[in-house]
Amino acid sequence: MAEPYVVRLRSFEGMSEESHDTGALDAALESADAEAAEFTGATGKLRLFGVDPSEVNGDVLFVVPWRGTAHRIIRANSRHNTLLVTEQCDQLCVMCSQPPKKQHIDMFPFFETAVLVSPKNSTIGISGGEPTLFKSELFDFLARAMSTRPDIDFHVLTNAQHFERDDLAFLRRLDLTRILWGVPVYSSDTDVHDRIVAKPGAYDQVRRSLSLLCEAGAKIELRTVLMKPNARGLLDLAKFVTTALPFVDSWAIMQLENIGFARQNWDALFFDSSAGFDVVGKALDFAISRGIHTTLYNFPLCTVPTDYRAFAPSTISDWKRAYVADCADCSLRNECGGFFEWHPKEHGYERFGVA
Amino acid sequence: MTVWPLKFRERTDGQLLFTDDAGGFFVGSHRFLERLAKNGLSPADQLFLRNNGHAFEQVGDPDWLSFAYRWSRRQSKQQDLSYLILVPTLRCNLACDYCQVSRAPESARGFDWSGETLNAVLAFIGKMKGPEIKIEFQGGEPLLRVDLLEQVRSFTRCKFPSSQFVVCTNLQRLGEREWAFLDQADTCVSTSLDGDSATHTRQRTHDHLTTDTFFRNLSEAVRRLGPGKVSALPTLDVERPPDFNDLVDNFERHGIQSIYLRPINHQGFARRRRSEPNSIARWNQLHSDFIDFLIERNYRTDRYVEEYYFGQCLRRFLRSGADDHVDLRNPNFFASDYIVVDHDGQLYPTDEARMLSRIGRIDLSIGTVADGVDRTKVLLLNSASINNFDADCIHCVYQPFCGTDVVDDLSRDGRVDLARSETWFCKRHISLFDKVVEIISRRDEAARRSVAKWARIPSWGDHMIPVHA
Repeated sequence: MAEPYVVRLRSFEGMSEESHDTGALDAALESADAEAAEFTGATGKLRLFGVDPSEVNGDVLFVVPWRGTAHRIIRANSRHNTLLVTEQCDQLCVMCSQPPKKQHIDMFPFFETAVLVSPKNSTIGISGGEPTLFKSELFDFLARAMSTRPDIDFHVLTNAQHFERDDLAFLRRLDLTRILWGVPVYSSDTDVHDRIVAKPGAYDQVRRSLSLLCEAGAKIELRTVLMKPNARGLLDLAKFVTTALPFVDSWAIMQLENIGFARQNWDALFFDSSAGFDVVGKALDFAISRGIHTTLYNFPLCTVPTDYRAFAPSTISDWKRAYVADCADCSLRNECGGFFEWHPKEHGYERFGVA
Repeated sequence: MTVWPLKFRERTDGQLLFTDDAGGFFVGSHRFLERLAKNGLSPADQLFLRNNGHAFEQVGDPDWLSFAYRWSRRQSKQQDLSYLILVPTLRCNLACDYCQVSRAPESARGFDWSGETLNAVLAFIGKMKGPEIKIEFQGGEPLLRVDLLEQVRSFTRCKFPSSQFVVCTNLQRLGEREWAFLDQADTCVSTSLDGDSATHTRQRTHDHLTTDTFFRNLSEAVRRLGPGKVSALPTLDVERPPDFNDLVDNFERHGIQSIYLRPINHQGFARRRRSEPNSIARWNQLHSDFIDFLIERNYRTDRYVEEYYFGQCLRRFLRSGADDHVDLRNPNFFASDYIVVDHDGQLYPTDEARMLSRIGRIDLSIGTVADGVDRTKVLLLNSASINNFDADCIHCVYQPFCGTDVVDDLSRDGRVDLARSETWFCKRHISLFDKVVEIISRRDEAARRSVAKWARIPSWGDHMIPVHA
C-alpha cells in the first residue's frame, strides 16, 4: 500500500520562482478538463477533482493514497500558512474555536517536507490543539526547518503550559528573532483565567512560562479573547501586562469568533463591545500609554469609537471575511476587517452602522 | 515579600508621588508612607505594591524578572553612529543677538571646510555602517555653501539610498539653486521663528523688510516641501517673551503643531549677556504658563499643538523607550549615535560642546574628521554622563525619567561636580516633571484632551494613574 506523501503542484512550466532543489517534490500539470486535473511527478500520478489548475500552482498537498484524499497544507498565494500539529489539548477553553480531540497523528515529518517547498519570505503558523504537548518534536522541527529555510519565520500559538527551565538552553540556540510565540492570557485574576481555560493552576504556569520565554529573549504576542467572563477585568489585565509582562512585543485584544465552543456558548460569552467599549478603551489607553503595542483584532470599525480605530487593523483574511447588508454604503469598508464569514447575520452589536 | 526602594515627593494637593527605579509610579498618602517607613504595611498595601510592580517574593521570580526588565528598558543603549551634524561654514548672513554658534561674518575667510576637510567628511560617511543615516547641516548659514551640501548629499545618497537630510537654515536668502536643493523628497528644513514678527525682528533680523522676506520664504518652503517637512524653533528671551497667541498662530499657520520652546542659550555669544540668577525660575514659570495656555487653546480650537520637549518628558514619564531626544536620556553616551563635524574638521560630541569650545573655555573636541574619534576623551565624558549613581539623583523621584547634561553643567558652572540640585539642568527638569505630574492629575476635560494627544493615546482619565490610600 502506498505511503502518504507531500507534493507541490506545478500548473505551469517555468513559473517556479522558488528555485530550491526540490524537483522530487513537484508534480507537474499533465492534463486538465472540466472535471479533474492530472499532475505527474516523482511520487506518481495524482488526479484532483474540482480544482482550477491555475489557482493551485505552488500549493503543497498532503496526499493519502489509500484513502484517496489530498489536503492542502500550504497555499502558495498566502504569506501566512498554518500547520496543525495536533488536535490534543490540555486546556478546554470555553470559547475554543477548534475543540480538541483525543487521537494524535504525528505529522512533523510531512511538515518538514512541506516547509522545504513553502513560499519564500513567508510566515508559517504552528497551531493545534496544543503544539507543545509534543515539545521535543516541535523543537527539533523548528531547529531543522529554520536552518533549511532561513527566509521563513514562524508564529507558534501555544498555551505555554509546558515550558521548563531546562528548555532555556535549547531555546537560546534558536534564532528567536524569527519566532513569535502567541500566548493567550485572559485575565489577571487567577480564578477567572483558570475557569476560562478549564485548568486549575494554568494561570500560575503561564506566568512562569512567560518569564522563561522572556529570559530566553523570545518574541511574545499576548492574546486575549474578549468575552463576558473577562470583559470587566480588562483594565486590570492591562495593568498586569504593563507591570508583570512588560517584555511582550504586542498585545492583541480579540473579539470572539463564532465557531467551535464559542458558537455553542455564544450568548453566555459574546461581549457587545459596541455598547460596552469603555472597558476596552480604558485598557487600551492604559497599555498604550505605558508603551505596550496593543491592537484590537476582529472588531468591526463602526463598533469602535473614532479615536480608537487606528488601533483596530483589518485582521480577518479576505477569504474568511464577510460583510452584512448594513456595510454596503460604509465609507470605512476598505479599512475594515468586517466579520468572519461564519459570524451570525444577527451580529449582536447594538451600536452598529455606517461610520 | 521585598519592596523595591521607593522615592517620594509631595504634590501640590498634599498627596505624595511615589516612584521606583524602574519608572513605576503611583500616588499615595502620608499614612501609607508612615506604614512603609515603619515596616507596618497592611495586607492591602502589600497587595497593591505587588500588583503595581514594586515588590517580589524571591530573586528570579516572575515579579523580580519583570522589574528587572522594566529597569533595563529605562536605560538608554549605546548605539551605532547614524546621525551627523555637519557645519560646512561658520559664516552667516544674519547677526542674531543671541547667536548660539559664534558665527563669522558672511565675508570672512577661513571659516569654511577646506577641500581636504570635505574629502575627510566623505570618507567618514563612507565608513559608517548604515543602512539609514541622517545628516543635519548646521552653520553659520549652511546654504551659503550649497555646493558643499550638494556634494555631501549626492555621495551619501549613493552609499546609503534611504538616508535623510535636514538643513538648518535661516531661510533668509534663497536662489534657484538653494530651492532646488531643499525641494527634494529626502530633505527637510529646520528654521528659527521667534514667535511674533516684532520679536523675530528684534532678536534676529533687526529690520522689518528682512523679517518679511523670512516669512515669505517660510510660507514658500511650506508650500513647496509640504507642511510635515518644515520645522521651526523659537528662541525665547525670558525677559521679553513674545505673545503666546501670536507665537502659536504663527507656527500653526505654517503647518507646525510641535513647538520646541528654547531659552536663549547660555553659550556662544549669548553668554556675553549677563544672565540673571533667577532666570531659571522665571523660565520655568514661563514654560509652565505656556503649557497651561496650550491646554486652554487646544480645547478651544480642537486642534492640538504640543510643546515638543514637554511632550517628550510626559512620554518618558509614562513609558520606557522614549530615548529619541539626545538631551533627555540616561546614560547619555557621547559620540554614540551622533557626532558633530565643525567647519575646521574638529569633531564634537554635541553642538553645545562645539560652541563651548569655540569661546575658549574648555576644549571639548573629541578628535578630527580625518583622524577619527578620540575614545579616551569620549570615555572621560561618558563617565560623568549617567545619573544612576549621582549623590543627588539617587534620591530624586524623577531619576528614572530624567537625563544628564554634562556639557550644560560645564557651560554654566565650569565644573561637572556641582550638587546636582544646584544646576540649571536639574532645576529645569524638576519643574518640567512637576508640571507633568500636575497636568496628568487634572480632572478637567481640557487638560485630559491635551494630555491624551501629547501622550499619543486615545483618551485620558482617572484610570490612568494608580492611586493607593
